[in-house]
Amino acid sequence: MSGLRVLVGCKRVIDYAVKIRVKPDKTGVVTDGVKHSMNPFDEIAVEEAVRMKEKKIVSEVVAVSCGPAQCQEILRTAMAMGADRAIHVEVDAKNYDTMLPLHVAKILSKIAQEEKADIVFTGKQAIDDDANQTAQMVAGILNWPQATFASKIEKVDGNLKVTREIDGGLETISVKLPAVISSDLRLNEPRYATLPNIMKAKKKPLVKKTPKDYGVELTSTQQVLKVDEPLTRQAGSKLGSVEELVQKLRDAGLVPS
Amino acid sequence: MNKFFIQKLIRQHTKLTRNHLTPELCLRLITPDCLLWNASPDRSPFDDPFWAFFWPGGQVLTRYILDNPKLFYKTTVLDVGSGCGSTALAAKLVGASRVVANDIDPVAEVAIEINMEANALQVTTDTSNRLSSSLDEQFDFILIGDMFYDPLFTDLIATWLQRHKNASVLIGDPGRYSFKNHPIQKQLEHVAEYVLPRTCQIENNGLTTGNIWLLKNDR
Repeated sequence: MSGLRVLVGCKRVIDYAVKIRVKPDKTGVVTDGVKHSMNPFDEIAVEEAVRMKEKKIVSEVVAVSCGPAQCQEILRTAMAMGADRAIHVEVDAKNYDTMLPLHVAKILSKIAQEEKADIVFTGKQAIDDDANQTAQMVAGILNWPQATFASKIEKVDGNLKVTREIDGGLETISVKLPAVISSDLRLNEPRYATLPNIMKAKKKPLVKKTPKDYGVELTSTQQVLKVDEPLTRQAGSKLGSVEELVQKLRDAGLVPS
Repeated sequence: MNKFFIQKLIRQHTKLTRNHLTPELCLRLITPDCLLWNASPDRSPFDDPFWAFFWPGGQVLTRYILDNPKLFYKTTVLDVGSGCGSTALAAKLVGASRVVANDIDPVAEVAIEINMEANALQVTTDTSNRLSSSLDEQFDFILIGDMFYDPLFTDLIATWLQRHKNASVLIGDPGRYSFKNHPIQKQLEHVAEYVLPRTCQIENNGLTTGNIWLLKNDR
């Protein structure tokens, strides 16, 4: 098989439709009993990798997730979408609380080397911490070219031609392989997994590892001081006429009297 | 569950379809028109209804048999992991004299019987675990349609096949990881490649083609 091998990072996050609540002691957000799913940007990365496989550019898609046991559900979803196999790097709840993008980047880099991956693919950011760091750090650690915020990917000769979403427009770059890519929202629309795909994904190989297996220590260099909810907007009031509005604005000193 | 009840359940949750790579055969499968298609697996009344899908490796192997009828005429055939029974039925359709459709799932056995009736074909069904020991019966062909999905199971079948090289072993596989990377690859001869129909591709995300392989024997 001459096709490429792609490693896709899949983070388990609180589902995008869930209303986030901050813990009363302000140490974080409530996660117990809350619906989780795959980070939507990672889902886009999985979808793109599978499409590249369907186009025979890629021969193998490996999904990776770091976190608690429930991450396996996320990996099963990735395999139902078409990933060939999965690696679960298990991190217990206590360590997971202080895990940083740098740890994940170190683990992904190590796996990429062990698996001889040609592409490391992640979402541009996770919707929980919005860090937007993992892909860039992987590129840094491996010293591979990076194409972040991808909205279109083509294989031209031996390289990847990637269209990136940047401030004020699009930038098209060519990167040599191996490379790191992060997906932006408009790259594609991920498919839904149907029963036959979910059923068959149950039989696909999923191996369990630990950060230690990759020589990564999860010591945190950061300390969370507190987590606050966004300020709630104060209630407004309804006014009867334009005169009343102007008077109010004058009273507040917002228009000259 | 009694057999009558299983039959009813299968008929309720599947549809007869020819919308696959081998329209010569009419098979009861869970199709996009069935309620279960979009349901979550816990809504399924069957545990792992692998017989309810026409697996890509099975589709290409069944196609290969129908495309090469002379090869199977008046031969004896064992279809291991028969699922919906398509591969066994195809062998019978092209004139094999004895066909055994083996699957350890008792629900699959009922599904195969229903599919036999739908195609007016008769094969012998069998739910014994054939992989647990060597065969006590000689077959001309051993057919393996899409059985290499799981690494441990792949090892098991590969080892078992070593003991049955006196038969012609034909394998249908859509390029599964456990198969592509297994040492058994060195003993295989490529026979044919088929493009999977769109209907098959949408229920097997990421897979687009399937191949037929022959296990080289030592004779």
